[in-house]
Amino acid sequence: MFNEINKSIDVAISLGAQYADARILISKSRDISSKDGELEDFSNSENMGLGIRALVGSSWGFYATYDLSEESLKEAGKKAYLIAKASSKVPGKDFPLADVPIVKDEYVTPHEQNPFKVSTTDQIDLIVSSTHEMKKIGSSRAFGRLNFWDTEKWFASSQGHEIYQNIIESGGGISSLSIGDGETQIRSYPQSFGEYRTGGWEVIQSFKFLDHVERISEESKRLLTSPQCPEGTRDLILEGSQLALQIHESVGHAIELDRILGWEAAYAGTSHLELSKLNEHKYGSPLMNIVADATLPGALATFKYDDEGTPAQRVDIVKEGIWTGVLTGRDSAAIAGVNPGGMVRADGYGRLPMVRMTNVGLLPGESSLDEIISSTDDGVYMETNRSWSIDDIRLNFQFGCEVGWLVKNGKITDMVKNPTYTGITPNFWGSMDMLAGEDEWVFWGTPNCGKGQPSQIGHTGHPASPARFKNVRIGVRG
Amino acid sequence: MKIWDNLIDDVEKLIPAGVECEIKMINSTESLTRFANSHIHQNVEEELTDIFLTFHADGKTTNLNLNITSMGSIEDIIKKALSEIGNNPKDSTWPGLTSKENSFNGYKDISPDDPDIRAQKVKEFIEEGQTYNGAGYCSSNVSNVFVWNTNGLNSSDTATSAFLDGIFRSETSAGSSHIGNQILSDIDAQKVGQEAFLITKESQNPEDIDPGVYEVILGPDAVSTILVFLSVYGFNAKSKVDGTSPIEINVEQFDEKINLEDDPHKEGALNFKIDASGAPKKKIEIITNGIPKNYFHTRRTSNELNQSNTFHEMFGWGDSFGGLGTNLYLKPGDISKEEMISNVKKGIYINEFWYCRVLDPITQVVTGLNRNGSYLIENGKVTKPVGRLRFTQSFMSSLGQGNVLGVGSDSRFADSEFGEGILNVPMLHLKEFNFTGGVSG
Repeated sequence: MFNEINKSIDVAISLGAQYADARILISKSRDISSKDGELEDFSNSENMGLGIRALVGSSWGFYATYDLSEESLKEAGKKAYLIAKASSKVPGKDFPLADVPIVKDEYVTPHEQNPFKVSTTDQIDLIVSSTHEMKKIGSSRAFGRLNFWDTEKWFASSQGHEIYQNIIESGGGISSLSIGDGETQIRSYPQSFGEYRTGGWEVIQSFKFLDHVERISEESKRLLTSPQCPEGTRDLILEGSQLALQIHESVGHAIELDRILGWEAAYAGTSHLELSKLNEHKYGSPLMNIVADATLPGALATFKYDDEGTPAQRVDIVKEGIWTGVLTGRDSAAIAGVNPGGMVRADGYGRLPMVRMTNVGLLPGESSLDEIISSTDDGVYMETNRSWSIDDIRLNFQFGCEVGWLVKNGKITDMVKNPTYTGITPNFWGSMDMLAGEDEWVFWGTPNCGKGQPSQIGHTGHPASPARFKNVRIGVRG
Repeated sequence: MKIWDNLIDDVEKLIPAGVECEIKMINSTESLTRFANSHIHQNVEEELTDIFLTFHADGKTTNLNLNITSMGSIEDIIKKALSEIGNNPKDSTWPGLTSKENSFNGYKDISPDDPDIRAQKVKEFIEEGQTYNGAGYCSSNVSNVFVWNTNGLNSSDTATSAFLDGIFRSETSAGSSHIGNQILSDIDAQKVGQEAFLITKESQNPEDIDPGVYEVILGPDAVSTILVFLSVYGFNAKSKVDGTSPIEINVEQFDEKINLEDDPHKEGALNFKIDASGAPKKKIEIITNGIPKNYFHTRRTSNELNQSNTFHEMFGWGDSFGGLGTNLYLKPGDISKEEMISNVKKGIYINEFWYCRVLDPITQVVTGLNRNGSYLIENGKVTKPVGRLRFTQSFMSSLGQGNVLGVGSDSRFADSEFGEGILNVPMLHLKEFNFTGGVSG
C-alpha cells in the first residue's frame, strides 16, 4: 500500500510542493439502533480511499478520491498541488513544519474480540432486549444503540514516514424517555449518547446494560413528578461523565492551537487563551491538573501515531491550576514555537487532518464522591449531560443534566428535574475544591465532536472523576 | 452516468426473486477554500461515490453502505447481505419500495469548479475588509444522486451549490455574512464582504447590558437557526412518532405572519428534487398563516402516523433520523431593515446565534448565544453595540401568536446548524426574547 501512496506524493513533490503526505484508509463501521424492543436500524458501512495534502507556500492543498488506480493516484497528487497553488492568490507567510521522528511502524488497538467478528445476532439481541425491558417496565420510549469502527490507515510522507495503524473502537448506550404533560424526561446509561472506547466487543460487555435498565426507566418516570431544580447559587457536584463534557468544552477546545491562532475563527471560533500567557494564566484551582494523553490504554482517543505521523504522547495542559500546554500540529507548533504533540487527526480519508483533542482529562484527586457529598451542606449533585452550550471563545457556558439530586447537610435528599448550571470558565474551574480519586476515574469518550469546514466528526477522550465546585449559578430556565 | 448504469445492469441480473432491493448512489465533488487571518490556509476537494444498499427478504431488512472502491464484486455483496439478513429480527415497519411510476431523470453531467475561481472570490471578500482580519470559506459542490429498486424505479438528480461565508474581526468586534447560489461565478463576494465589514465596524467596543426579556430583530442567520431547530425537532415526523414533537397539525401554534413552505422547484433552489426513496418532491406547505400544515415524512413515518408521505427522506442519514425539508422558504413581508429598526422602542439586533442546544424537545426551550454583530436599539435607533448574551428561550414561543411583530422584505439563503442552503429567510422582528445571562455569566 505504501508504494501506491508514494506515487501520489511523488507527483506533488515533483511539481513543487515543499512537503506532501497521504493516507489510504479502509474504514468499516456498524450502527445498530433499537427502539421499544424493535430493531430500528442495522447498517454496515465500508469505504476506502486516499487523501493527500500538499504544502505550497502558506497553504495546504488537499485532494481525496475513492479511485485507487495508478492513474488516479498520480492525478490526486497533481490536484493537491494545484489546489494548494491556487491559494497563492491570497497568500500568507510561509511556515516550516516542526520536526518529528521519521518512523516506519505498525500498531493495532489492543482488543479481545473484534466487534466485526462477533455474531451480529448477539449484538442485536443485546440492544433489542435492553430496550424491550425498559419498555416493559414503563418507559414511554426506550432507545439503544451500538456503534463499532475498524479503521485501517496507511500513512506515508515525503519525508519517509510509513506507518500502518488499525484502530478499533466500540461503544453504545441506552436511554429511557418518559413523556409527561408538555414535558419529556430522559435517563441514559452509561452516559448520554453512549460511552465509547478503543477496544472490541468486550467494551460493550463491560457496560452490562441489562443491570441498569430498571434504574434508568424508573428514574425517567420519577423525574416527571419531581420538583424543578431550584434557582440560585449553590455548591455543585458533577458526576464524571458531565465533568468530562465540561472538560471537553471549556478546556479541550480552548487549548487547540489552531483556534488560538485564529484558523477556526469563522466557524468553531477562537479561544480566550493568549499564547503570551502560557505558563502564567490561572486556569483553575490548585486541584486542577489536566493532561492530553493519547497513550492511555482503552481510552477513546488512544493511538500510536497521529495523522501526521507524530508519536502519541502525554502533554501537561494545566498543572496545579496554571495553563501549561496546547494541542498542536506540525504546522501550528512550528508557528507558535512549541513542540508538536501528536494531536492531528482527520475524519476519514476524505478530510484534511486538523488539530484534535486526544484524551484530555482531569487527573484524579484524593477524595471520593461519598466524601464530597457528606461534606456538602447545601448543594446539588448533577448527573448525565442533557444539553451543552458555550460561546466561541470558550468562556461563557451553560449545561443541562438529566437529573439533579439535592444535597442537604451531607446527604442526598430529593430528586430534582431540569437541572442546569452556568458559569465562566476560569471562575468555574477556580471554584473546584474537592475531587474524587483514582477509584472513580473513568475514561469517558465523546464520539461526536464537530469541527472544521468541511465538517469533521472527531472521537475524543476525557478521563474524569466526580468533583465539587463552590457557589455556582444553577437552575437557569427559559 | 456510467458507474451507475454498470452497477444497475449487474444488480438486475443478480437479485433473486422475492427479494426487495433498493440501491442509492451519491456521486459528488465537494470543494472548499478556507481562509483565516486574511489568507487562504486550507484548500480541499473530495470526490466521492458512495453506495447505499437495502435488502428486504422474509420480513427482515439489512443495510449496507459502501463506497465504490470498497465494494469489490457486487455479486459477493449481494450474497453476503442475503446470508446475513437472517440474523436480524423481523422489520415490523418495513414501508416497501417506491413504485416505478415515480421515476425521475434529473441527472446532468457538470464539471467541478476550478479552485482559482474560489480563490478569486476569497480575495474579493478580503479586500472589502480593509485592515480587518478576515476568515471564512468559499465552497462549490456538484452532487449527483441515483435511486433504483426492484419495483423498476430508476431516478436521478443533480444539484450544484456554492457558498461564501465570512467574518471580519477587529480588536473588539466581529461581523459576518453569508450567501448561497447555484453557480459559483454568481456569488457576489464584494456584497458579502461589505456587509460583514459594516457589521464589524459598527460593533466595535461593545458594552454589556443586563440580561432580561427584550424585543429583538433577528438577522437571516438567526432566523434560520430557529426554523431549522423547529424543523428537525418538531416538523420531522420521526419526532412526532417518538412523542417529542411540539407540532400539532392544523392547530394555531405560530403567529399568523409565519408562512413556511418547502419548494424544491423554486427558481434558485439548491437541493435535490427527489428524496432518498427516489420519488420526486413537491412543493408543500409547512406553516400557513401560523398553522402547521405538514410534517416532513419518510416512508416509515408516513406509515406509522397513517399520513400521506411528503417525500423528505435524506440521502445518507438513515431511518433513525427521519425526514427534513431541504428547500425551505420563509415568506418575506414588506418591512425594510431600516423600518424594522425604527419600530423598536428598546430591543436588540442579533445578527447570528451560536451553539444552540435544546433543553427539552417538547417545549423547544433552547439555550445559545449571540455573535458576529449585536446592537442595542432605543427609540427606533441603533445606540450601541452589545456584548455576549446567553438566551434560554422556547423557539416555539418565539414565533408564537402575537410575538412576531414584523417580517423583513428581503430574504436570502442562511446558514444553519444542520447545513447551509436549506433555508431561505428574511429578518424577523419579535416582541419578546429571554436573555438569561451576560458576559459575567
